[in-house]
Amino acid sequence: MPLMAASLGDMTVNKTGSWRNVEPHHVEQVAPCASHCPAGNDVVMFVTLAAEGRYEDAWRVLAATTPFPGTCGRVCPHPCESECNRTQLGGAVNIHSIERFLGDKFRNSPPEMPKASHTHKRIAVVGSGPAGLSCAYQLALAGHGVTVFEAHPQPGGMLRVGIPDYRLPSEVLDAEIARITDLGVEIITDTRVGVDVQFGKLMDKFDAVFVAVGFTSSRPLGAEGDEGDGVLPGIEVLRRINLGLPDEVGDQPLVVGGGNTAMDAARSMLRRGKKVSVMYRRTRHEMPAIAEEIEELLTEGIEITFLATPVEVLREDGRVTGVRCIRMELGEPDESGRRRPVPVEDSEYTIECNSVITAIGETSDLSFLPDEIKAKTSWNIPADELGRTFEPKLFAGGDVADGAGTVTAAIGYGRKAAAAIDAHLTGRELPTDAATSPSLRDRTDHVVPFEELNTAYFEDKPRFEPESQPVDERIKSFDEVRGSYSEEELLAEARRCFSCGSCPACDNCFIFCPDAAITHVKGDPFKLYIVDTEYCKGCGICAAECPRACIVMKAVR
Amino acid sequence: MEALPHLKNFTEVAEREIMTSGHVACPGCGAALAMRLALKTLGRDTILVIPACCWAVIDGPFPYSAAGVPVFQVAFETAAISAGAIRYGLDATGKKGINVVAWAGDGGTFDIGFGQLSAAAERNDDIIYVCYDNEAYMNTGIQRSSATPWGAWTTTTPGADFKRERKKNLLEIMAAHRIPYGATTTVAYPDDLVRKFRRAMSVEGFRLIHIFSPCPPGHKALEKDSILESRYAVESRVFPLYEVEDGTHYTLSMDPPKRPVDDYLNLQGRFRHLTDEQRAYIQQTVDEEWARLMHRMKVGEAIGG
Amino acid sequence: MQKILTGNESAAWGAMCAMAQVVSAYPITPQTTIIEELANLVAKGMLKAEFIKVESEHSAMAGCIGAQAAGARTFTATSAQGLALMHEMLHWAALGRLPVVMANVNRAMAPGWSIWTDQNDSLAQRDTGWLQYYCESNQEVLDTVIQAYKVAEAVDLPVMLVLDAFFLSHTYEAVDIPGQERTLGYLPPYKPSIYLDVNEPHAFGGIVPQDVYMEFRYKMQLAMDQALEEADKADEEFNRMFGRGYGLIERYHSDDAETILVTAGTATSTARVVIDDLRARGRSVGLLKIRLFRPFPAQLVREALAGCRRVAVLDRNICVGMGGIFAQEIRSALYHQPPERRPHIHGYIVGLGGRDIIPEVIEQIADDAEKRTVDDGRMIWIGLKD
Repeated sequence: MPLMAASLGDMTVNKTGSWRNVEPHHVEQVAPCASHCPAGNDVVMFVTLAAEGRYEDAWRVLAATTPFPGTCGRVCPHPCESECNRTQLGGAVNIHSIERFLGDKFRNSPPEMPKASHTHKRIAVVGSGPAGLSCAYQLALAGHGVTVFEAHPQPGGMLRVGIPDYRLPSEVLDAEIARITDLGVEIITDTRVGVDVQFGKLMDKFDAVFVAVGFTSSRPLGAEGDEGDGVLPGIEVLRRINLGLPDEVGDQPLVVGGGNTAMDAARSMLRRGKKVSVMYRRTRHEMPAIAEEIEELLTEGIEITFLATPVEVLREDGRVTGVRCIRMELGEPDESGRRRPVPVEDSEYTIECNSVITAIGETSDLSFLPDEIKAKTSWNIPADELGRTFEPKLFAGGDVADGAGTVTAAIGYGRKAAAAIDAHLTGRELPTDAATSPSLRDRTDHVVPFEELNTAYFEDKPRFEPESQPVDERIKSFDEVRGSYSEEELLAEARRCFSCGSCPACDNCFIFCPDAAITHVKGDPFKLYIVDTEYCKGCGICAAECPRACIVMKAVR
Repeated sequence: MEALPHLKNFTEVAEREIMTSGHVACPGCGAALAMRLALKTLGRDTILVIPACCWAVIDGPFPYSAAGVPVFQVAFETAAISAGAIRYGLDATGKKGINVVAWAGDGGTFDIGFGQLSAAAERNDDIIYVCYDNEAYMNTGIQRSSATPWGAWTTTTPGADFKRERKKNLLEIMAAHRIPYGATTTVAYPDDLVRKFRRAMSVEGFRLIHIFSPCPPGHKALEKDSILESRYAVESRVFPLYEVEDGTHYTLSMDPPKRPVDDYLNLQGRFRHLTDEQRAYIQQTVDEEWARLMHRMKVGEAIGG
Repeated sequence: MQKILTGNESAAWGAMCAMAQVVSAYPITPQTTIIEELANLVAKGMLKAEFIKVESEHSAMAGCIGAQAAGARTFTATSAQGLALMHEMLHWAALGRLPVVMANVNRAMAPGWSIWTDQNDSLAQRDTGWLQYYCESNQEVLDTVIQAYKVAEAVDLPVMLVLDAFFLSHTYEAVDIPGQERTLGYLPPYKPSIYLDVNEPHAFGGIVPQDVYMEFRYKMQLAMDQALEEADKADEEFNRMFGRGYGLIERYHSDDAETILVTAGTATSTARVVIDDLRARGRSVGLLKIRLFRPFPAQLVREALAGCRRVAVLDRNICVGMGGIFAQEIRSALYHQPPERRPHIHGYIVGLGGRDIIPEVIEQIADDAEKRTVDDGRMIWIGLKD
């Protein structure tokens, strides 16, 4: 014992952990972008890696879930952005432009992906659209042999024949498909299953069959005189344009519909020098097309007649001369939640046109299936979310299964089905959460809302849009409308990401702990912090000051 | 992938940990955090002088200490002279390169130690004097000090007798001593705090760092809100962050978008009783003080301080 | 080297010889010339010390405490109100076990203002844990400063040496000054066993729980016990080296005296003259000088007083409500003695507020004591005016 009250040791003898009744846990929570990405992309991860300039790492995060970053970066309706918490502080992060940047950056020299050793299993994929190729891609990475059958002369499905070049240049699609075939996937084009090769044969010869034929049939207009020349399905018009065929559309077409097919068809007609207009039976608010597409269409000077629908295609000598329409008004919501259009009595009127392009919905054509299988289908092939059907070796996904109608949903479906097929063929365990990339931190399934973020750590910076081609230039050709980010712009935009629920090791918890009870974990790149439970008093500052809701306070048992 | 992305909000805070866990500060204590951040910057070649204040307890009972550096606990009013004297003692015995830091609460600084503080400043004693200001005698149970703001409840300004006097402006008083360096800082801005300690370490003579330090029990605030309160104190301009060199040259450390003082008051139960008129009065005094600070900055610039 | 110095200057030169490294002081009459002389010695480079010019005595002592804790030898001086203002810090130095040395010029407490001597200021600090020496001459002041460091640093307790205002503080005498080099042979440099060392960090003065506080007090008591021996050794060694010794007490013609007067401070010198005179007239009187008051040299006092019939204690102080403090201390020291070794003890209050204690007053006390046949313990006031 010293002469006076002089200390002989430090206070670590005093275990203040016994004081607390709540304690912090570092977790990884779900960002709304990721939870709303039908493809299952780990959005936060690729965006934050991009923000650090780690482009290849970012690309690899994307490549784990999608073979189509360049494509999706252009054509995806990006529900991730609709849900982005940044919306409340300067606008949603421009996720699709970041994805597009990454896709483009490695388009011509993609980094090599690790591929599992060959399983000697062979899978037939029917349809080379986004669902089929996504599935093929994942199966190839898992070491399986894959053969894709495509009716068209070129692979890509709707990506190839449904989306015009000004939105998705063919060189982008070509390159991304080339990366899939480089993995050993065989794509047999110009081969229609059910005609050139029988479906039953595929079922016999292959270890599994994945059907992803998409929606290939257009729903009829349902107006008087809608059969015959001059009335064409939108997807057919787009197919002709994309395959370089004559469009067989007159110089004054009317496009009927409010979806992406309608938008694409109308804008393609404009680019072919036609005097095109659009008619939609509800209002702009209910239009299913991607908002930017509608905006661009209007900017390009195409008129949309809302709240009207054709009741008769008028013809003279078989040639279309116009359409008799009726005005609509919005009634009660229907099963889709949108307000149902109801005809207004005595409101018929006539407009002039010489072609009608119908784009009021598509459906699948299952005529290629043998009767015994077809008997078990309806408008679709019923499948669970992993593509499993009534037949153990038959899997289905994409629009033919769920009719979701977006590229991104098809990619996600294809990937999940691949996991199910892999599990079926190899006995490997199905990943519990096929939609997310691996993480070593504790995960919750809680989707982080804006209110849980600490926005003191985020600047109020506006969203940045890449420049588009000027309107008067772009309507003259099928050149791509939207521009890309420069690297500088990309970094600025990617850094706007809150990375909700994902800990990028910002150190706030470490720095702000009054008790020095949060320490860095040395040598472990994933579990970056450890709470010293011997000393944590449970004040909750770490959780309050975590910008990204990556710390949750739990009651001490 | 070898590592996750790292996005640091604060880049100046050293990894080294000098203050140990196990100290007996209340959960969410701003003063404990301030010490931890300060010591990270000051390093081990530091002697701390602690008068009666919360930290006299926080550091731990005999025979333990959480500080990790030599600590000299001194009488309530003697932080400044004790630190100064330690410097003279070190000089007299030829010991160099040591930070001598007085670490006092607002009672020991604004009130009982005020004369000795002034004397040490006038002598230009070569010390860093830190006042961690939680705006009342918290250690004794929340009695009012001359650092308690107008309108605050304390145990000696209870009920309708809430404090009717305004808080002393410590840094201005010390600037009037023409001290070489003075600064305000607070725990919500670790980089600012670290930079000011670093700056203080690079200056000789008397240096003052005034740290606004939230106290959950004393302010009747949530433990988790200490940083928020600290941040709001700055954003609402209740506690502007700035530096003064030689008593004349002013530098504003940050000027975030102005937040209504109500946001700050609302975090703290000690202001709960205030009426709208009384809150408006606080807003008015805060605006006035800010205007005065801006004026002093301009004057400082004009005379080339 | 001999110089003609005042008592105050002697204190300063004592600190100079002891090579105090930090002086922390604040002026107060009649102490001022101590710190003026120190300022001169520092300014001339004769004392290499840091001089902290503080704003109060409280800070003066806090300054000594801080510098001492940093490992430096310190010195200060004060008086009366200043000492009272230091009170808190006197405890701090003692409980902090810091061997600070301080000269206190005895001065009466206000109000009304008095700048003249009495012992109430220093005796009021009796219980702070400081050693106290009462000095009789300028030489003793200088020598006691040097001895004080020797004892203080041996037992880790602070030492206060006391000199009477004006009678000593401002009175010139020839003083022998040993100088720093010779003093160094007696008093090695200060080397504390524990101090504020960044290489071996300790926290000093943290909260002490109920179950250990008493032990620190007990250690102080042990140190005070040891201080008696150390003070004796220090004085003997000083005597060997410099040819001057004072003892902890001094017995002057007391061995065979029936009546022994007890004094401290400058009254002792006057009393010596009176004793010589009374002895010449055949009276059996002697003198006991108390030099070390804390720790109280009780055994020495017992032995010195064992053979006499009565003791007359001259208290230049008053514990109001109880009496003279030296008288109480001596009574207390003798209480457990057998009756034959326990003389009557008469306490006289005398010379407060600087009132001169002239030979006639001392003789009057001797006369009074000799007449008394009963030891009633009452305080006896000398020279009161109506």
